Amino acid sequence: MLIALLSIFIVGLIAPGLYSVLREKTGWVLAILPFSVFIYFLTLFPAIADGEVITQSTDWVPLFDVTLSFYLDGLSMLFALLVTGIGTFIVLYGSGYLAGHEYIGRFFCTILLFMGSMLGVVLADNLITLFVFWELTSFTSYLLIGFSHDSAESRNSALQALLVTGIGGLALLAGLILMGYTAGTFEMSEILNSGDVLRESPLYLGILILILAGAFTKSAQFPFHFWLPGAMAAPTPVSAYLHSATMVKAGVYLLARVHPAMGDTDLWFYLVTGFGAATLLISAWLALCYTDMKQILAYTTVMVLATLTMLIGMGFPLAHQAAAVYILGHALYKASLFMVAGAIDHEAGTRDIAKLGGLRSLMPISAVAAALAALSMAGIAPFFGFIGKELLYEAALEAPMWSTLLISIAVLGNIAVVAAAGIVAIKPFYGPKVETPKHAHEAPLSMWIGPITLASLGVVFGSLPFLIDSSLIVPTASAIYGETLDFYLSLWHGINLPLILSVVTLLGGIAVYKIWTGLQSSTPAGLYSTTFHDGPKGGYQFLVDGMLSTAGWQTRVLQNGMLRYYVLTIVVTMAVAIGYTFMSRAGFAWNNELGSVELYEWTLFATIIASALIAVMVRSRLAIIVALGVIGFGLALIYLMYGAPDLAMTQVLVETLTVILVALVLVHMPPLKKSEAAGSKFRDAVIALTLGGIFTAMTLTAMTLPFDLFISEQFAEWSYPAAHGRNIVNVILVDFRALDTMGEVVVVAVAGLAVYALVKMNKKQSKNGGAES
Amino acid sequence: MNLLLILPIAIPLTAATIGLLFRKSPMVQRASGVIGMAALLVSVIYLSWQTYTDGIQVIQLGDWAAPFGITLVMDLLSAAMLIITAIMGLVVSIYSLYDIDRVKEQYHYYPLLHILLIGINGSFLTGDLFNLYVWFEVMLISSFILLALGNRKTQLQGAVKYVIINLVSSLVFLFGVAMVYGMTGTLNMADLAVKIAEVENTGLVTAVSMIFIVSFGIKAAIFPLFFWLPASYHTPPVAVSAIFGGLLTKVGVYALIRVFTLIFTHDIGYTHTILLWVSGFTMVCGVLGAAAQMEFRKVLSFHIVSQIGYMIMGLAFNTKLGIMGAIFYIIHNILAKSNLFLISGIAQRLTGTFELKQLGGLYRQYPWLAVLFLISAFALAGFPPLSGFWAKLSLVKAGLQIEQYVITGVAILVGLLTLFSMVKIWAYAFWMPMEEENKSEQFGKMKLMGAGGLNLLVTPVIILAAIIIIVGLFAEPFLSFCMLAAEQLLNPEIYIESVLGES
Amino acid sequence: METLLAIIGGALFAAGIYMVLRRNLIKAVIGIILISNAVNVLFFNLGRLTKANPPLIWEGNTLPVSPFANPLPQALVLTAIVIGFGLLAFALVLAYRSYKELGTVDLDDMKMDPVEVSAEMRAEEEQVNQ
Repeated sequence: MLIALLSIFIVGLIAPGLYSVLREKTGWVLAILPFSVFIYFLTLFPAIADGEVITQSTDWVPLFDVTLSFYLDGLSMLFALLVTGIGTFIVLYGSGYLAGHEYIGRFFCTILLFMGSMLGVVLADNLITLFVFWELTSFTSYLLIGFSHDSAESRNSALQALLVTGIGGLALLAGLILMGYTAGTFEMSEILNSGDVLRESPLYLGILILILAGAFTKSAQFPFHFWLPGAMAAPTPVSAYLHSATMVKAGVYLLARVHPAMGDTDLWFYLVTGFGAATLLISAWLALCYTDMKQILAYTTVMVLATLTMLIGMGFPLAHQAAAVYILGHALYKASLFMVAGAIDHEAGTRDIAKLGGLRSLMPISAVAAALAALSMAGIAPFFGFIGKELLYEAALEAPMWSTLLISIAVLGNIAVVAAAGIVAIKPFYGPKVETPKHAHEAPLSMWIGPITLASLGVVFGSLPFLIDSSLIVPTASAIYGETLDFYLSLWHGINLPLILSVVTLLGGIAVYKIWTGLQSSTPAGLYSTTFHDGPKGGYQFLVDGMLSTAGWQTRVLQNGMLRYYVLTIVVTMAVAIGYTFMSRAGFAWNNELGSVELYEWTLFATIIASALIAVMVRSRLAIIVALGVIGFGLALIYLMYGAPDLAMTQVLVETLTVILVALVLVHMPPLKKSEAAGSKFRDAVIALTLGGIFTAMTLTAMTLPFDLFISEQFAEWSYPAAHGRNIVNVILVDFRALDTMGEVVVVAVAGLAVYALVKMNKKQSKNGGAES
Repeated sequence: MNLLLILPIAIPLTAATIGLLFRKSPMVQRASGVIGMAALLVSVIYLSWQTYTDGIQVIQLGDWAAPFGITLVMDLLSAAMLIITAIMGLVVSIYSLYDIDRVKEQYHYYPLLHILLIGINGSFLTGDLFNLYVWFEVMLISSFILLALGNRKTQLQGAVKYVIINLVSSLVFLFGVAMVYGMTGTLNMADLAVKIAEVENTGLVTAVSMIFIVSFGIKAAIFPLFFWLPASYHTPPVAVSAIFGGLLTKVGVYALIRVFTLIFTHDIGYTHTILLWVSGFTMVCGVLGAAAQMEFRKVLSFHIVSQIGYMIMGLAFNTKLGIMGAIFYIIHNILAKSNLFLISGIAQRLTGTFELKQLGGLYRQYPWLAVLFLISAFALAGFPPLSGFWAKLSLVKAGLQIEQYVITGVAILVGLLTLFSMVKIWAYAFWMPMEEENKSEQFGKMKLMGAGGLNLLVTPVIILAAIIIIVGLFAEPFLSFCMLAAEQLLNPEIYIESVLGES
Repeated sequence: METLLAIIGGALFAAGIYMVLRRNLIKAVIGIILISNAVNVLFFNLGRLTKANPPLIWEGNTLPVSPFANPLPQALVLTAIVIGFGLLAFALVLAYRSYKELGTVDLDDMKMDPVEVSAEMRAEEEQVNQ
């Protein structure tokens, strides 16, 4: 399985190169790849049908318990077959749909990368590996939605889809990690056996919410459903594949996958079934508010995802049978319908129902495919959709709680679906011929082979359900439920309540279809879509805008471009962090030795303080220079008094140089002007004094501690005998701590280079006019 | 005792000296610039290998035993930092061959770059607190001039802020060193770790540790001390932006990790809680700042801040996984962030601007540049299977492991906003069509690779992107290395014994 | 005296910070000078004061005459003074250059739109190309 995956990724990466060699044949050649993987999975089919589970594992990052481990049971098998099977047709379809497009090479690349990622999601056993593939599907989906990147709408839709699925993905990551920690393993196959540990954990609620956040965003459940219709900005092959048959089902897949470990609680039922049912009702009717075929299909897709969510939430065998059937049935008919919609768009130049009609004679094969698919979608016998719908009704009727509500929602939702099926399959092909932007004719083979095959499978499986029931549907349902189930599918269950409800649904759907044109443009429909489509989308936009305006505000306030506020923030932070810590944790202490201070020391002290005050207060440049000099020489005196002649000499030398330099620079500068308000001066003075006071206090407190001179004493001892120097300070500088001095020399040297460059650079540049370069 | 430990300082010093001696010859300058970096990379890889196999490497300079002389110490954290620094040095010096004009070369660009690396490498290697101050200053003075080299107005404005704030920070750091010396009488960090535990007034030690949080915090650009960074990093030549954006702040982070795992570990409940709060605000403020920007390098600059927050968060967790995550995050972030800066430079060469609103059309015209950008940008946003994913995963795991749900949640949300900004750049610079009126002469004509192309600019970007992918796909050895480094840090006895000897 | 020195240090520090908080670039640089002095004197003080002999070893001896002043902080402060001077010289010249280029020393005026970075780089390239 690893090899199958890797081959898809590798071929995907070289696809643009292949295209430049093979040109228009690329699609047919590339389609061999998913098809062979499809065949590969078919060879494993008998084992899975017997209820076996195939696992494979390769180490990846053992430190984090991440393995490239794969787990193939009925559920993964169903999805793997869908991904590769439909994928084969999509590659073909794409080569026709995008023939001659400037990015067709890039299209093949991304779609194959997506295929590999999606296959990874459904096969992965390791939680982290699953997440890796999950994120890759979001990423490739982003690139594909933004395929027509010249339009702002495409870019925005892509961003919207990425952010919505992205936040869900991040929640999912946290959920999966917590799940792994709680269960003590990161392998799904082992977690499935430790459901009790998870359900009894105090983190159960948290894990559940995080995982549901991942699943609901990916599978476009309310209130995150709005991104999926937006994603219709992608080219149709992408919509058919990612946003209908596969990627959006990743969320549903995840729910199904974790059900044995996480399900079977009231919480699970209420959250999963609840959100599913709500989304079902909302989205089914939203589908009828649009005339764009892809929008209609998008919302019916949301409706099916919601149905699946609801069924998985119910958590008993019958519901899971229904879910398994639904997954397959929907993938078959919806992919066909999308491809037909794309074909119409491609050939007729529009996919707006209001502008289409009478295409049946011009596009006969597409019309047949659409009809077959729509019949399955509407749930009419003997199509596969019928079996699914019957099971859905049965399950809703048998639901342990709230069954009346659930069945009503299911019926109401399906009425809308029947109508939608009619709209997309009948309106464009029947009725009077309408003039279309392009002169329509049948699409090429590559574009109709997919829809017709998939749509036909719907009728084959529907009429002959034994072909797949025990081999595929039973293992799938068992995997979702978590225990081996035993059942078979059949079309005819006798005259019972579900059948009666089906008839009601059909009649209701036809009625809605009849009045649809008026309904679609009516005010209530407008209001409805405003509330349930624009509402959540507006919520998203509100969050994004809110974030941006907060960001703008914060930047204006914090990053205001004025240095003094930056310094002020830093100084206040220091005063608070250091001062508070010092006062609350250490407290002030000092060796009271002021009594021993001599008069000349007091004088020196007073002089320095006074000079500091002068330097701060005056505006005369000369006075400032003098004050600086006095401070510097005063300090030198102090150093001299306390046994540091070398230091004093250095201080005198450096201070002289500094003063000269300051003087030189000041001469070339404008005079200092009074420019600031007294208020800000007072504020700064208070803050500065506070910080200075804190540093004084800390110094004094530190000096009450006992002090160990062992290093200096050792230096004194070694200085002459070992280092051959009589001036210990010098010996420290050139020997004991020579590296410091080396650094010091480097700093001074670079400062020299820097001054040189600062002073001379532009002159030289203008003189040479850059002639040297 | 490993004499070779002096190499990471000696090699750039030699290269810088050669460059300065032959200041009239651009060829020698360039050659010493690039070859010096390559030699440095080889030497640090060798030294890291020694550290990895034989344990912490130590040299007592002048043969004066610790704590009397200055000790250079190389543990696995230093090794990781040195390797990534040398890689950056090499790729940036190659990039500079094209990016830096002759005039700047004449003003000693390459020697200055090497001196910057002396400061950085010295900071990573030194085992002495005062010596760390010296290396910080070496780094600082060379960064000052690299930032202002060119004397453009915007550069000078950025430099003024950068210089003043960093000088204040250095002086505060020096005061911190003074306090530590005044309390313990020693400067050797291993010795300090022992002696500071004996100081009776532990409250004072905590207060001093705040000085270090602030002064290193300014260098690392944490909240609320980061303002200088977005004010200056978008102004110098791109090669300089890249090395600053990648490396400089991480020296501050390194210093924080070093002192808060080795020296100030007496009151973790207080200090590390503060670090945790700081990390949260840093992440959020940085990422929001980026969301508000519309200039390529400014967006990246704010993201530096945001991602520093993640590293501090890992440190604040103070668990093996957390610190390991922080170290891995540093490495990954240097790669991805510098690469994005380098890409911004290429985009500017092609279109003549850094303004997102004027950029455009790069996806159509330069698909390979788009691929390189996607790799770096999505790595930065933490997408699998790139390097950033493992960085994010380690930290999220670390946070959940010790039940720090709130900060982990913040980190996760900030990840989403990071994605938002990266995608913003992508949408504007790559997807949006190029407006005719903004089209520069060279757009579409200039080639990325091949004769007359931007080979020297693109090669470094390809190298870094390749490393990002390799680290992402084959993460295990890199992660284990960081894990071992974290183990060393959490067992400071190993470090102390290596420096001071068994006694 | 150690108390007085600590106060001197604190006062110089406060004066320096106050200056750095001003709008004038020159004042900010002078503030740095003051802070630099402040930290040096605090460092010196923290190495413990003794009105003692300088740490020198006279001819014929192998040890300095006790009591002698602590040599280590002297050496460190000496290094710090020299390094500080290097940085300061740069800061002063930077201020000078900024004034020449920008025509102002008012820090509040030094906030250019990032748009201008691109514009300047473009102008520079054109200049080089000519």
